Amino acid sequence: MNADQKPARASAAAEPIVSLKNIDIRYGNFHAIKNVSLDVYRGEVVAMVGPSGAGKSTLLRAINMLETPVSGTLKVGNFSFTLDHELSQKELLLLRRSTGMVFQQFNLFPHMTVEKNISLPQMRVLGRSKEEADKVTARLLERVQLADKAKSYPARLSGGQQQRIAIARALALDPQVMLFDEPTSALDPELGLEVLAVMRELANDGMTMIVVTHEIAFAAEVADRVIVMADGEIIEQGTPEEVIRNPRLPRTQKFFRAILDRH
Amino acid sequence: MTEILTPLMNIGQYFIALLKGVPISLAVTVSAFLVGAILGIPLVLMRRSQYWLPRTLARVYIDVIRGIPPVVWLFIIFFGVGSSIIAFTPTQAAILGMGMISAGYLAEIYRGGFLAIPPGQTLASVALGLTRIDSLRFVLAPQVLRVSLPAMATYFISLLKDTTVASTIGVRDVMMLVTQQAQAAGGGFGPFIAAAVIYILLSIPVAAFARVMDAKLRQRVSR
Amino acid sequence: MIELLSNWIDWLPQLWRGLKVSLQLTGLAMLFGLPLGLLLALMTSSKAPWLRWPAIVLVEIGRGAPALVVLQMVYYGLPSAGINVSAFVSGSTALALTAAAYTSEILRAGINAVPKGEVEAGTALGMTKADILRFVVIPQGVMYAVPALMGFAILLFQTTALTFTIAIPELLARAYRIGAATYLYLDVLVLAGLLYLAVTIPFGWLVQYTERRLGSHLK
Repeated sequence: MNADQKPARASAAAEPIVSLKNIDIRYGNFHAIKNVSLDVYRGEVVAMVGPSGAGKSTLLRAINMLETPVSGTLKVGNFSFTLDHELSQKELLLLRRSTGMVFQQFNLFPHMTVEKNISLPQMRVLGRSKEEADKVTARLLERVQLADKAKSYPARLSGGQQQRIAIARALALDPQVMLFDEPTSALDPELGLEVLAVMRELANDGMTMIVVTHEIAFAAEVADRVIVMADGEIIEQGTPEEVIRNPRLPRTQKFFRAILDRH
Repeated sequence: MTEILTPLMNIGQYFIALLKGVPISLAVTVSAFLVGAILGIPLVLMRRSQYWLPRTLARVYIDVIRGIPPVVWLFIIFFGVGSSIIAFTPTQAAILGMGMISAGYLAEIYRGGFLAIPPGQTLASVALGLTRIDSLRFVLAPQVLRVSLPAMATYFISLLKDTTVASTIGVRDVMMLVTQQAQAAGGGFGPFIAAAVIYILLSIPVAAFARVMDAKLRQRVSR
Repeated sequence: MIELLSNWIDWLPQLWRGLKVSLQLTGLAMLFGLPLGLLLALMTSSKAPWLRWPAIVLVEIGRGAPALVVLQMVYYGLPSAGINVSAFVSGSTALALTAAAYTSEILRAGINAVPKGEVEAGTALGMTKADILRFVVIPQGVMYAVPALMGFAILLFQTTALTFTIAIPELLARAYRIGAATYLYLDVLVLAGLLYLAVTIPFGWLVQYTERRLGSHLK
C-alpha cells in the first residue's frame, strides 16, 4: 500500500485536539511516564507502539484520566486542565464525554443486551431520550454490521463481534477522539481483522484516533503518525515510512526487526 | 459524663462475672470440634468412596445432620434419647450433639480440601506404586489438612457461637450466665453487650490464626 | 410403630402452625435484613472512612455476636429502653439485624466479583459513580450473590428455632410443649426434625439448581 493512496485526512489545523504537556506518572517508586509531551491533531490517526511495559497504555489512559499524572497539563477539545491538583467529578465527566475508549478486554456489560449496552450510556451520560438513543444505536449497529445482534447478550457473540459493539458503544457518545488500548490483542487473528476493518473505516471517515497496538501492519497502513515508546518516554515518532521502514535509533531498529522476524 | 461511665462500669462488672462461663464455653467448643474433626475423617472417606452404599450413607448423614437446627439435635439427644434410652448430662449431650454436627461440616471441608489438590498428586502416588492407604496417609492427607486449615479455623469460630445453644439444655456457659444476669437485672442491654464482647474477643486469636494460615498457604501454593 | 404414626398425625396440625411461624420469621428477617445488608455492603466498600468504619464495626459485631445473644439482647433490652413490642417483633428484629450483618459480607463479595474492567468502561464512557453502581455493579453483584444468599436463608430458617427462648410459639417450642405433656419427647422431636428437613433439603436442591443456572447466564 503506497503512501499516496492514503486519503488526505489530517488537516493542517493550528490547534491540536489533544495536547499532553510534561506528563509525569509514578507508581510509588516506579516512574511510569517520564515528562512526556504529545500533540494530536483533528482527524489524525496516531499509532503507539513499543515493547511491553513501555508505558503506551498508561499514557493513553492518562488522556481520559483513568491514570492520574502527578504533573503536567492535559487539553482535550475545549477543555484544559493542569494536573497539579485532583480534578473535580464535573471536570472528569466533561473530559470523558469528549473521549471514547475501546479496551483490550472489550468490557461490555454482560447483563444487558447489545442494544442496552449502547443506549444506556447515551441516556445517562448525554441525557438523550430513549427514542433518540435507540435511533443512534440502530445507526451504529448498521455501521459495524451487527444490526441483527441488537437483542442478543454479549456472551453469545464472538470476541470480534463484542469488540465491534464496544466500538459502537463508545462512538454513540459522539466523542471528539477515540482511544484504542490494544483493541485486537485479545482476539484471534481472523476476528481481529473484522475489528481492524471497522477501525480503518472510522479513520477514513475523519475520526481522530490514538491506537496502542502491536499490529504494525495496521499501523503502517492506516496511521498518519507512529510513536514509539520505551521506558516511559517517546523515543521516536514520525510517519510510518520514517519510523517503521527507516528507524533511526538502534533500540527502535531492534524492536521492529524482532517483530518482522516473528512474522 | 456519668451517663456514659455508669453503663460502661456496669458492662465491665457484667464482663467480669461472665468470664466464669468462658472455660465451659471453650471446653464444649473444643471438645465438640475434636469429636467432629475425628469423626469427619471416616465420613469424608465414605463420601468419596467408589461404592454407592457408603457414599450414599455419608451423604444422607451430612445432609440430615446439617439440615436440622443444632438446638433441635441437642433436644433430641438430651430430652429425646435422654429420657427414654440413656441419660446424658447437659454437657455430654452438648458435646455429642455439636460433635456430630461438626463432623458433617468438617467432612465437607475436608472434601473441599481433597478437590483442591492437583489430580497429579494421586497420579504420582499410583505411578510410584504406593498403596491407596499409604498414598492417603503420606501424600494426600497432609495436603488436605494444610489446605483445609483456614476453613477449619473459620468453622471453629462459628462453632463457638453455635454452642451457645448448649445453654438451652442447661450447660452453664457464658450464654446461660448472661440470661440469668439479664433476668436478675430486670432487662437492659448491658449483660448482652458484655457477652457479645467476650465472644468477639474469643474469636480474634482464631481469626488471626486463620489469616496467617491462609497467607502461608498462598505462598506455598501459588506458582 | 402404628402408635407412633398415629401420634404424629395427631401432632402435625400443631407443629404445622409452629412451622408457619418459623417461616414467617425467616421471611421477615430476610425482607428487612437484605436491604440493610446491601446498604452495609456499599458502606464497607466505600472509600470514605466515615462511611466505612462505622459499617465495618456494625458488621463485625453483628457477625461476631452469637444469634442467641442478639435475640435475647433485643428481647430483654428493648423494654428497658421504653419500647414494648411483642416477642414476635423482637425476634424478627433480632434476626433481621443478624441477617443484615451476614448478608452484607455475601453481597460485598458479589459486588467485588464484578470485573473491574466493566467499571473502567463505565468510567471511560463518562458515567457517574452512582450510575455505574446502579446499572452495572449492583445488578450483577446481587446476581452473583443469590446462591450464597439462599444458602444463608436456610441457615437463618434453622436459627429461628432459637426463638423459643424468647417465648415465640414456633416449631421447636410447640414440639417441646407436646413432649413435656406426653413425655414422648423423642417421638415428637423427631417429627419436628423431619419438618425442618422438609424445608431445608428441597431448598438446598433449589440452591444448587440456581447456582448452575446463574453460572451459565453470566459466563
